[in-house]
Amino acid sequence: MQTENIGIWALSSYYILLIIPFGMMLWLRIPIIGKMLVAIIRMTLQLLFVGFYLQIVFQLNSAWLNSLWLLVMVMVADLSIIRGCGLKLRRFVAPLFIALVGGTAVPLLAFVGLLLNRPNIMDAQYVIPMGGMILGNCLRADIVGIRNFYENMRQREKSFLHTLSQGARLHEAIRPYLRQAYQAALMPTVATIATIGLVALPGMMTGVILGGADPMTAIKYQIAIMIAILTGTAITVILAILMSVKSSFNPYGLLDSRAFRS
Amino acid sequence: MKTPTTETTTPLPGKATGSIVPIIEMRDIHVKFQGKPVLNGFCLQLFPGEKLVLTGESGLGKSTILRCILGFVIPDAGQILIQAKPLTPESVWKLRTLLSYVPQEPELDDGKLEEWFTNPFSFRANTGLRKNLDRLPGLLERFYLSAELLHKEVKALSGGEKQRAALIAAILLQRKIFLLDEPTSALDSKNAKRIMDFLFSIPDASILAVSHDQTFLELADRTIQICAKGVNHAN
Repeated sequence: MQTENIGIWALSSYYILLIIPFGMMLWLRIPIIGKMLVAIIRMTLQLLFVGFYLQIVFQLNSAWLNSLWLLVMVMVADLSIIRGCGLKLRRFVAPLFIALVGGTAVPLLAFVGLLLNRPNIMDAQYVIPMGGMILGNCLRADIVGIRNFYENMRQREKSFLHTLSQGARLHEAIRPYLRQAYQAALMPTVATIATIGLVALPGMMTGVILGGADPMTAIKYQIAIMIAILTGTAITVILAILMSVKSSFNPYGLLDSRAFRS
Repeated sequence: MKTPTTETTTPLPGKATGSIVPIIEMRDIHVKFQGKPVLNGFCLQLFPGEKLVLTGESGLGKSTILRCILGFVIPDAGQILIQAKPLTPESVWKLRTLLSYVPQEPELDDGKLEEWFTNPFSFRANTGLRKNLDRLPGLLERFYLSAELLHKEVKALSGGEKQRAALIAAILLQRKIFLLDEPTSALDSKNAKRIMDFLFSIPDASILAVSHDQTFLELADRTIQICAKGVNHAN
């Protein structure tokens, strides 16, 4: 069984289907047609670029180049979190980078090195798609976790200060907010795990099946990736929040408004 | 621009002589919020065992004075000493463990009231004080709070109940210095009097309070009227 290739003209004509969402938006006068057009163009260009680049990466299959590609992905995720959470670039870029690397590297290396037992631990065929999936989930979880943590800190500032006045050190005073943020960040992953396969076939499994493997192999990959995602998000969120705390509180234990963009 | 000043209305007999080291001293404190001066050269001395009340119109920085002592507002200039130790980023954590603070309109966290009382004793600084929780039933009774409230969600408490709970929490921590910000504002006169009598009877406790309550002012050793007349002066 091999994946059927898609012809360039066939794919181009598939774009005609987009007439349906465009038509609906025109009919309902939803003012996001421009945005959708830009999104489709961006998607096409980005994927074409990545496709060409990955072809080279897969051909060379150099551990260094693959690692570099992963680090570029981490950097993009890092900047996306900083923008999504309204944080100051200079203060947070390094701690969040470390949090993302930690959250991605541990489950990824365990997956490729221990579970698949690949001789080349940085094998492009595995580390790039797996790394992307884990990183994507780390990105989403970090945004939810960090936003929840700091929004709660701001909303319940009086309560936080009262805790400091009762003799709490900073790590003791932030604990309730950390607990709540951690729960908020991990809940979507836990919910996905609980319903996986029932609502829709997950992306990883679909990919493996389309790649020609039998469904049982696909399921084993899917189970492993879900474990990797849960582990990765658990590591990255705790690291992201704890490491960001060092940049966002002043030496008196007060939230430093200068750490945030607005 | 009006900035607050101080006027000592009642002198402290025998204490303001310089022979006793103040337990809290604020020297020439300047605080600005968004460029506007709130405290301008403010000075204050609180002596061991003294009950001192700050009073005056709202918006003149009385709460800011307490927040400066706690390290929640960092003065633009001036020095704060607690037990003769300067308040710095390094010392603030240790010095906070000498203080008991009751904020105006206490905002208690989520969860049951009982958890809220026990939580501070999980902090490393307070673990040795856990036995003080044995005093909780007696204090609840004394402050007219039912023991059943312990199992109630903190959010469901009234303003007066929250205020009394915050005062009890402050007493349980067994500090020598109490910083009280309008601690009786949500209480009826009977409850307020009972609580003040209790607080003022704690041996060796130094109290710095912000209050407009006449009974509080009468019980105090000294009161300071914060006015909007210019630069503050040492009292």
